[in-house]
Amino acid sequence: MSAHLFSTPDERDAALSAWLDGELPPARRAEVEAWLQANPDEAAHLRLWAADRDALRARFGPVEAEPVPERLQQLVWQHTPEAAPAGSGWRGRWAAAFAVFMVGGLVGAGLVWRLQPAPAAVARAGPAEGWVQRAALAHSVYVPEQRHPVEVAVAGRTADESRAQEEHLSRWLTRRLDLPVKLFDLREQGYELVGGRLLPDAGGPGAQLMYQASGGSTRVTVYLRKPDEAAPAAFRYERDGEVGLFYWVEAGTGYALAGSLPRAQLLALAEAIHRQQPLPAPK
Amino acid sequence: MSVPTSFRQQLLGTIPRLRRYAHSLVMDAAAADDLVQTALERALSHWHQFDQQRDLLVWVIGIAHNAHMDSLRRGGRLSIVDPHELQAEQDRRGSDPGADVGLRMDLAAALQRLPVEQREPLLLVTLEELSYAECAEVLRIPIGTVMSRISRGRVALRALLDGRPPAPAAQPLRRVV
Repeated sequence: MSAHLFSTPDERDAALSAWLDGELPPARRAEVEAWLQANPDEAAHLRLWAADRDALRARFGPVEAEPVPERLQQLVWQHTPEAAPAGSGWRGRWAAAFAVFMVGGLVGAGLVWRLQPAPAAVARAGPAEGWVQRAALAHSVYVPEQRHPVEVAVAGRTADESRAQEEHLSRWLTRRLDLPVKLFDLREQGYELVGGRLLPDAGGPGAQLMYQASGGSTRVTVYLRKPDEAAPAAFRYERDGEVGLFYWVEAGTGYALAGSLPRAQLLALAEAIHRQQPLPAPK
Repeated sequence: MSVPTSFRQQLLGTIPRLRRYAHSLVMDAAAADDLVQTALERALSHWHQFDQQRDLLVWVIGIAHNAHMDSLRRGGRLSIVDPHELQAEQDRRGSDPGADVGLRMDLAAALQRLPVEQREPLLLVTLEELSYAECAEVLRIPIGTVMSRISRGRVALRALLDGRPPAPAAQPLRRVV
């Protein structure tokens, strides 16, 4: 029976390939798996495909971890599309042209002027320190992410599993940052820990912890790293568009809390984190 | 109507994976970032067409795909999907399997020898972990076509890595009674 599972080599390859990608419906998957058990040579072939897939991921995976080039960041913040994206397509532009024709003179000229691309926005006045800016950027980069918001997620199937994941995350980040990394408990403030990730930063890695509003989609991030030499310890606040940012340095650790929240709500979270900060490491 | 800040922020979030995809599709790093730039510019120009219910990354990758195809068309380098054409294309690109360099180079070189019609779906599914349905949406081809192009791409990639020319035509499977 198994020899007749596929009528052509193309069909066989397509089915094996889809099996590898987890794209077969359950019944077909079971058939293919039985066939693979009966055909170990084909199974070996499939393992080569899996190895090629892993090699591709290993080869290009690091590109994702590279810092986003400055020029692309600026483009996204400053690029102003040329056509007026009124959502009405050519009709909107024709209507505008018609208006220019009808009204004429100065009024029309004014309308045309407004349809011109606006001059590129002035570069945003960013926070004074580089690492704080990188914290804000990391926030913007990962908060909208739906599939891979964090590298290590803490959600487990059971409470024990979640606790084990949290311990793993905390140990891993502590080791890589060479700083005591504590996972802050913000549940009282209505935020659950999603997980964390390690990020490249100038002069050493940084860590990002992500929290999500219980039963909501609002996310805030806490960025931790060894601060730059001259970083002031003061508790500061900055706002950049929708994103508010509290940052401070204490016990040799720089903290930056970012979130699209009103100042008072963000402050409540910052205070909760501040209260839970680990004590300085014993000398 | 200007581009909302929230859209810009969301778009910023897609850049790391968009870059990974572009760098796997176009081996030259500068050309890959140019492709990313074009895709971002187009996304900003058409932000109002984006449906918030959808995955922004999939949408932007679709834009990058179109931009890449445009540039191939301009350069006259777009091949037609046909097994014989494909073989000729691979012959034209030379037969150096890059045996003297490490595995890494072999893989990249082999990948570049795949016709773009196979390379794209293979990368979208293996590297970007898109589903076949998402891949079909990005490339605007039927799911069945996605499935067969990926498997052909895998067969061809493996053949190139083994230093064999990709098999041109499929032989009928022998029946074992």
